[in-house]
Parts: sequence; C-alpha cells; structure tokens
Amino acid sequence: MNKFALATLAILLGIGHSASADVLAKIKEKGVLTVGVKADYKPFGFRDPSGAIVGIEPDLAADVAKRLDVKLELVPVISANRIEFLQQGKIDLMIATMSDTPERRKSVLGIDPQYYSDSVNVLMSKKAKVASWEDLKGKVLCGTSGAWYNKAVNAKYGVEVKAFDGSEKPLFALKGGECIGYLYDQTFVQGKLIDTEWNTDFAMPLPGIMEAPWMLAVAQGEGAFAKFMTDTTIDWMKTGFIVQEETKWGITPTAYSQRMHDKYKGN
Amino acid sequence: MTERPSVPFAVLHPYRRPEPRPFRLRLRLIHGVGIAGAVALIGGAAFAQGGTSTRSAFEVILQWSPLLLSGFLFNITISVLAMLLGTIAGIALGLVLIGHNPVTRWTGWVFTQFFRNSPWLVLLFFAMFLIPYEFRVAGTTIPFPDWIKAVIGFSLPVMANVAELVRGAVRSLPSGQWEAAESLAFSRRQTLWMIILPQCVKRMLPPWMNLYSLVTMATVQASIVGVTEMLTLTSQVHAAEGGRPDLLAPLYGFAMLCFFLYCYPIERFTLYLERRFKV
Repeated sequence: MNKFALATLAILLGIGHSASADVLAKIKEKGVLTVGVKADYKPFGFRDPSGAIVGIEPDLAADVAKRLDVKLELVPVISANRIEFLQQGKIDLMIATMSDTPERRKSVLGIDPQYYSDSVNVLMSKKAKVASWEDLKGKVLCGTSGAWYNKAVNAKYGVEVKAFDGSEKPLFALKGGECIGYLYDQTFVQGKLIDTEWNTDFAMPLPGIMEAPWMLAVAQGEGAFAKFMTDTTIDWMKTGFIVQEETKWGITPTAYSQRMHDKYKGN
Repeated sequence: MTERPSVPFAVLHPYRRPEPRPFRLRLRLIHGVGIAGAVALIGGAAFAQGGTSTRSAFEVILQWSPLLLSGFLFNITISVLAMLLGTIAGIALGLVLIGHNPVTRWTGWVFTQFFRNSPWLVLLFFAMFLIPYEFRVAGTTIPFPDWIKAVIGFSLPVMANVAELVRGAVRSLPSGQWEAAESLAFSRRQTLWMIILPQCVKRMLPPWMNLYSLVTMATVQASIVGVTEMLTLTSQVHAAEGGRPDLLAPLYGFAMLCFFLYCYPIERFTLYLERRFKV
C-alpha cells in the first residue's frame, strides 16, 4: 500500500493526522514525554516482574522527562517498528539500542554525539589465559554466522571463528567446550555476565574493538528538540551519568562512555 | 427386548431421538495425568541443565505469572471485542449477501471473499499501519492504541466468516419455510426476522464458537506487530531472565497451557451444542 492509497484512506475516513509542527511544544502542552525503548534487551531495557520497563535506557528517558519537567511515558518498541513509530509521531524520542547507519539517518533525525557505543568483544572462558587480542592467534572462538566482523577478526588476529546460527547455539557450543570464547556484540556479552549462570565460569577480559555507536533519534524536521537532546547528551557525558548508569545496572563501563566522559568533563 | 417388556410392538411407536447427555466438563483421570505431565515437563526441564545457582523454571514462572496472566487476559479481551465487532458487521454483510439487489449482493460477495481469503496476519498489518495512532475530532485528540487496531484487524476476517455463516444458515433452511410464510402474507422482512433468522441462530452457534476459538488462538499474532500481549511478554520475560536457553520451553509451554485450558472447554461445549441441535 503506497502513500497515495494511505492518504486516500485517511481522507475517506475524514481523519487528519495530528500536525507535528513542533514536538517540544506538543510535549509541554500535553505534559507527557513519550519515549520508545526496548523491553527485551537486558540491561538496556527490560521488564521487571511488576511489568514496568526498567534499565539504562528507561533511566535516560526519565532524565530527559525531568529536564523538560513533564511526565514520562515509555512505549516498548521492537526493531521492526521503532522508526515507524517515530515517523508517525507515536513516540517523541527513541532510545532503543539503535546503531547509527546512513540509511537510518535518512529516515530519522539522529542526535550527535551518539549516546552510547556497542563494540565487538569475547565472552571468554576463565580457564583460557588470554590477555590481549593478539594472544588469540591460532585459538578457536565460536561466533554467529553472518556477523559482519567474523571475517575481519579472523584476518586481523589469526583466530579461527566457528560460526553457528543465532545466539543460542554458539552459547551451547561454548558451554560444551568447542571453543574458548564467543565472539559477539559487547552489549550482549555484558548482558550475559550479569547472570550467575555465566559470570562464574566466564568473563570479558579483552577491550572492545570496532566500535558501532548507537544514536538517539527524533523525527525529521524537529531541529529544536534535536538541539535540546544534543545538549542533554553532552551534559550526560560531562557529569558521567551514562558511566554511573552502567555501573548501576551491573555492567563494566565501556571504553566509549569513559572516553566521552573524559572528553567533556573538562569543559 | 427382555429389558422393555412393558412396550409391546416397540417398532410401531414413532421414532424418538435419544436425549442428549447434559453438558458437563468432566475431569477424568486422563486429564489430570495430562496436565500434571505438562506441569512436570515445564517445571522439571530446568533441573536437567540448571545448576544450584540458577532458579528452577517453576520458580521463574511463578514469579512472573501475574504479568504473564495479565497478558493472557489482554488476549482474551482482544478476542472478545474482535468477535463482537466482527459478528455485528458480519451479520449485516450476511444480510446483504442474501439480499435481492444484485449490485449490493455482488459487492458484498467480493468483500466477503476478499477478507475470507486473506491471511489474518496480512489484514492485521493493514490495520496496524493504515489506521493512525490518534484521531483529532473538533480539537480534541482521541488516542487509538495498538490493541484497538489489533481488534479491528482481527474483526475483518471474523466479519467475512460470520457473513458466510449467515448466508449458509439461511440457505440451508428448507424453502418451504419461505413459501409457508409467504402464503401467510408475511412480508420478506418479517419472514427474515421472525421466521428464518431465529431458526438460523442454533445452526450458526456451533461454527460461530469454533470461529471464536480460532480467533483466540490467532491473537498471539499481534505480538508480531508489537502489541504487548502474552507472547510478547513471554519473550520479554525470557530476556529479563538472561535468555537462559533452558527456560524457553517452560515459558512458552506455560503460554500454551493457558490457551489450552481456555479453548478446550469451548471446543467441548461446541461439540455438545452440535449434538444438541443436531446440525
């Protein structure tokens, strides 16, 4: 169904999309900031047993609401609908583990500086004596087939990557001793290490490589709100709020958050 | 013959249908064994892999069950409202299908066939992405949340199926009913409302309940379009528990058990009604 048909339907039903001239004014008028967050990505956004969505990103959203002096409403989003929701105006702001890509920058307004960064890391068995990426030469790591960095890591560090589908099978293989570690997204590895099931026998001894920044996003054309979010993000980095959040939710602060904190705290 | 000596020449008596057994949902031993087995499977699976440090699947489900059951209640709400909306629209469409005006009848036919033969998920996507999230009527903003859109999405196939049920039930009545009514000077409208449709109700009831059962089970598809119903919550709970692979089967098994315990009595009751109404 194309735009034309959509417009026709809207006219037929006598509906006008609520005009989104200035989202900041709309937020102030309603007294509510609506933020799209993940509800299935521990510890960035997940459910607690009462049903509330908690985690690092809900905390960031709460801080934005506090700065605007409005109430906060969280909407759980998934990768398939988050951009759609932002374009429709159903959410005012998206803080949903979204990597920064040129394609996404075309459909939404990404906020600079990027608030967080994922990178590539290894969930390593504590028995393996590995202190640097160079030590991995000739060893075997499990991986997820199709991950863009498998080949690059193999070429650069001479480590063999045994690839499996999805993220469950390589974890099984790792537990079964088929490899010494699991090469995957650092945020995922850190999420695993929160649970006792993993942190007794496994750790993340290496620094993350190949950073892939995540961005906050607002709808296209919302320049004023984007400016506000840029200032907010810089303030988070200045005060070390993101590093504190990482510690609060039990993950080791990433090199990116530390670096940004160091960069802005002097100013 | 020896049991009924008091009825001589039984063959000469008019045939009497045996009384249907009254409806009772009897829990027999076999049901108990089945349910206990399911619970054991759900609860016990964790012990196979979980160490002493991890909680058993049973504890996990127990802790999250208020949230999961609230999600299940949401599925039920969506299914009931979709059925209500779809039935009202479906009866109207069904009456168009048996109408005399060829233009409206053919339009109605195309409409019915379109919605009956489209995958439910596709209709759901249409409803989700074509209906705006809020309406603005005379200055006030009326929000239109996702689950209402899901209700509309599911009511479309229900409408088409109910329309066919109405058409089929009316057609299945012997034409003598119409002729007799006409000879008694009933108008077409009177015949329909006072003679034909009341007889159709009991013919339509069992398949209608069957349809309801199907709608209930289909509501989990709403998780694909981001409605926070039971299946969505189940996967979020799984993530919140650290994505332990051994929890996957117990958590989804719990969802399955909920749907089974809800739909199975409906299915039994439908069977009973079919026997009762002899359709």
